[in-house]
Amino acid sequence: MRRVAIVGAGITKFGVREASWKDLVQEAGKAVFDDIPNLDKKDIDSLFVGAAQPERWVFQTHVAPLVAELLGINVTRAIARTEVACASGQAAIRYAWLSIATGLSDVALVLGVEKMNTKFMNVSQSSMINVGNREFDGANGFTAPPFFALAAQRHMHDYGTTKEQLAMVRVKNAEYGSYNPYAQFQKKVTVEKVLESRMVAPPLTLFDCSAITDGAAALILASEEKARQLTDTPVWILGGVQHVDAAHTTNQMGDLSEWVALRKAAKDLYSMVGIEAKDIDIAEVHDCFTISEIIEYEELGFCRKGEGGKFIEEGESYIGGKVAVNPGGGLLSNGHPLGATGIRQAWEVVMQFRGEVPKERYVDGAEIAIAHNLSGMAQLHHLMAYSVNKPQDVKFGR
Amino acid sequence: MALRELRKLRKLELPDTVPLSPILDLWDQQEPSGPDATGIYDFYRNLADGELTTTECKGCGKLLFPPVIICPYCNGNDMEWVRIPEEGELYAFTELKLGAPIIVENYAPFVIAIARFGNYPENGVQLSGMMFDVRYEDLKIGDKVKWDILEIVGPGDKARYWYYFKKV
Repeated sequence: MRRVAIVGAGITKFGVREASWKDLVQEAGKAVFDDIPNLDKKDIDSLFVGAAQPERWVFQTHVAPLVAELLGINVTRAIARTEVACASGQAAIRYAWLSIATGLSDVALVLGVEKMNTKFMNVSQSSMINVGNREFDGANGFTAPPFFALAAQRHMHDYGTTKEQLAMVRVKNAEYGSYNPYAQFQKKVTVEKVLESRMVAPPLTLFDCSAITDGAAALILASEEKARQLTDTPVWILGGVQHVDAAHTTNQMGDLSEWVALRKAAKDLYSMVGIEAKDIDIAEVHDCFTISEIIEYEELGFCRKGEGGKFIEEGESYIGGKVAVNPGGGLLSNGHPLGATGIRQAWEVVMQFRGEVPKERYVDGAEIAIAHNLSGMAQLHHLMAYSVNKPQDVKFGR
Repeated sequence: MALRELRKLRKLELPDTVPLSPILDLWDQQEPSGPDATGIYDFYRNLADGELTTTECKGCGKLLFPPVIICPYCNGNDMEWVRIPEEGELYAFTELKLGAPIIVENYAPFVIAIARFGNYPENGVQLSGMMFDVRYEDLKIGDKVKWDILEIVGPGDKARYWYYFKKV
């Protein structure tokens, strides 16, 4: 397999944007082209677009060729829109990586976008219900906040995690988000403020939840040969895996405080790329809710099972702790435009490795990063590993 | 001056109102035949008869929920409809206060729970369900609950049925 690098990265401001879906696509496109001025658009042979629900939110389908038109890309090798709900963005990176690694593509544009704030806001929110099994869980009002509230309740019940520890995740991510000019929320918060914010679904308050967000982000991926021509600061893709244990509906979820598929995915990824959890400098993880990040500490192997609450309380996930988790502010600060989030995580890794972030959230000397995207009610877990160092060999661990 | 005042423009007249989009109705797949047919129609017919049921695979004996026409474990297609035990145990619960689905937002806040019926996971099921006339503060993990039948009224005349949980 060929080595693949990210050679360009661009992002839009995330938030409640006075911008259409198409405007967001064009903004992210311009941002990534500006990031890599010596790239000739004619060199791009492939395009992958992460978009979760454009049909529901902007009533548009067949979006990949629309992006090609908006950005002036002539695709000659591979084009697709990728959809795995909240992880549609990382999926787009994955297929671009594979297309280049196998030799089909040389240079691919990867763009993730979601326009979630519309004049029909209750329709937007109701559209999260069909991420779970619409017929059997959706009909019970099972959107994302109640599901993650149940996971939080069980984690508190099974392991003694506290609401204060949940709030501490938001405090950390809000602090880093305050140094991220692209984030939806750039204000620091306190534990008290999180606990006092409006109740969404107990034990989760508004500040325990990521937001409904508009935003887009884009990357240019290239083969090793092309990467050398295009940049001096490539970010190498070491590997990536996705795990789901034949689970989509509540009955197949087992214990909600155990994310077994993530545990297995992490083990698989670390073995594939030859690292251990302790080698990871930066972890961009899917903190769609505060409880998610706590469970992720455990299942990614940063601490023992059940000790995720203690891990944040002791500051181990801050820059300077055992591993810098979400130094860009995570989903909690950036907001969560579904198709863009996975790309935003990779964008953050690129900016960190290049040292192009404010010093307050810079992880100095970082060499290895992972990105974790989850989708649905945490049934499906998506992981990728990135490095400043070129991988020895890419064999997918076989 | 606006164009419409300068020239008599051709008009495209649209209906005054557009009905609630079917994508927002969560209980639409309950037909035995026609374009909305579902192979698990017996699940809905049994609900109408007052029974919450699911499929058990006769080939491998696996109890399956949601009900399906083909067993995901052994590919067998010989299914038996079995009744889900009426009494279960509350595994987790919350109360949806903000962001309820549009079609049931009049009921918010309402409790959403997961309960386990039978011997889960070996030979039982874990179901989500709504709870009414009870508040979050009144419940605790391990409480006994029962399923009961919920009648869905409207939109339109068709009688539809679902289930919900109630505290024992």
